[in-house]
Amino acid sequence: MNNDKKLCNEASFNNFYLEHIQYASNFAFYKCGDKDNALDLVQDAFSKIWENCSKIDFSKAKTYLFTTVNNLFLNKIKHQKVVMEYAKAAPYVDINNESPQYLLEEEEFKKKLQNAISLLTDKQREVFLLNRIEGKKYREIAEMLDISQKAVEKRMSIALSILREHIENI
Amino acid sequence: MKNEKNILKWLDNELSNDEIKDLKRSEDFTIIEKIAHYSSQMEAPKVNAEDALAAFRSKHASKTKVIPFNFKSLYKYAALLVIMLCVTYFSFFNNETSFNTTIAQTETITLPDNSQVILNAVSSLDYNKKEWETDRNLNLDGEAFFKVSKGEKFTVNTDAGIVQVLGTQFNIKERENYFEVQCYEGLVAVTFNNETIKLPKGKSFRVINGEVQLVEDIDGLNPTWLQHEASFAKAPLTHVIEELENHYNIKITTQGIDTKVLFTGTFTYNNKDIALQTVTTPLKISYKAKGNTITFYKYEK
Repeated sequence: MNNDKKLCNEASFNNFYLEHIQYASNFAFYKCGDKDNALDLVQDAFSKIWENCSKIDFSKAKTYLFTTVNNLFLNKIKHQKVVMEYAKAAPYVDINNESPQYLLEEEEFKKKLQNAISLLTDKQREVFLLNRIEGKKYREIAEMLDISQKAVEKRMSIALSILREHIENI
Repeated sequence: MKNEKNILKWLDNELSNDEIKDLKRSEDFTIIEKIAHYSSQMEAPKVNAEDALAAFRSKHASKTKVIPFNFKSLYKYAALLVIMLCVTYFSFFNNETSFNTTIAQTETITLPDNSQVILNAVSSLDYNKKEWETDRNLNLDGEAFFKVSKGEKFTVNTDAGIVQVLGTQFNIKERENYFEVQCYEGLVAVTFNNETIKLPKGKSFRVINGEVQLVEDIDGLNPTWLQHEASFAKAPLTHVIEELENHYNIKITTQGIDTKVLFTGTFTYNNKDIALQTVTTPLKISYKAKGNTITFYKYEK
């Protein structure tokens, strides 16, 4: 019973908001590739949750959030190229190798990867990046997106093979 | 892709160290490792959570949430209210009581003041229950015998005329082009064409086709139809035919007969053939039946 009221309580809603805003906007960004659009999507999704707070079970609120972002994305945002940026302090695979050729090769690889990721479909990219960037387990992703773990693994595997294909062919 | 299962497991951090070693030895693992490594270094733009929440709150300014007024449910309640009002109206305020009889049916009605009305066939009677105590007012279409208890003015409205009494017994017959009031007890006031005639006991008043006619005094305490007999005193044949049709489910047509001829006599309500004979024989008429249609024709010999 407490759960039903939790979302309608402003303080606990704020906690829920702060807890999920970054992940939700990351997720939206993986889909639409635009920072402002991503934030708008997420704000709208939180609005829906706030408006329907009494109807949403607190334990389902997280799934509801991601599903809503997903639906809003499908309804509103035009597809555009999603270019992911690398974090500033990003070590190479072999941190001890400082030969200029190695560094050049790796930079080139990173560009190819960036490009290849932008070629994935929304569904493949969101699953792949949720796993890679946020270190989410397949099980967690499945729960978030309200799909089966098998479906997550399938998307993951397809994403990997597409990425490989593009990187090797260029 | 070779080792696909293990690669997926590795990305999900579900692979044991030994298995990872095996995997690392596989030939095309380098590129997979690179993809995994560099992709995890990517990042989405940082959101300032507090700012975003503030922006969100400013949009949903007040604590009081606006719940959109649901017009659909308003319609629902409005409809319910209307239905309840109708039901209440009809059950409490509509005091119009009516009685109808069909062919060959009579009905005895006791009014709220214990006055009795016996309704003959193909007649209808209605009155307002609520106003009855202050105003004894009835509407009659057809024929009925009244035994009125003493009390306030008792008024019977018919299309042909109005009959008013205080306490008495009388019969009213209002059929097509035929209006007759017979007084069996007390005094009856009949208003016809704005003219009021007072009928003492044993007198009757009759109008046929708008013409007032003189009628012989009646004998007996009740109209004969209460004993299942229709009686006529110098009544035109058309009227007698109409009464026959009211009491038997038949349709009567005539061939070469003067329907204005006057009939004095009775016919029973209980036997169609006897009734037809008692009407036709004195008038020297024959009749033939075809289903429910009876044809009167001139008696020839």
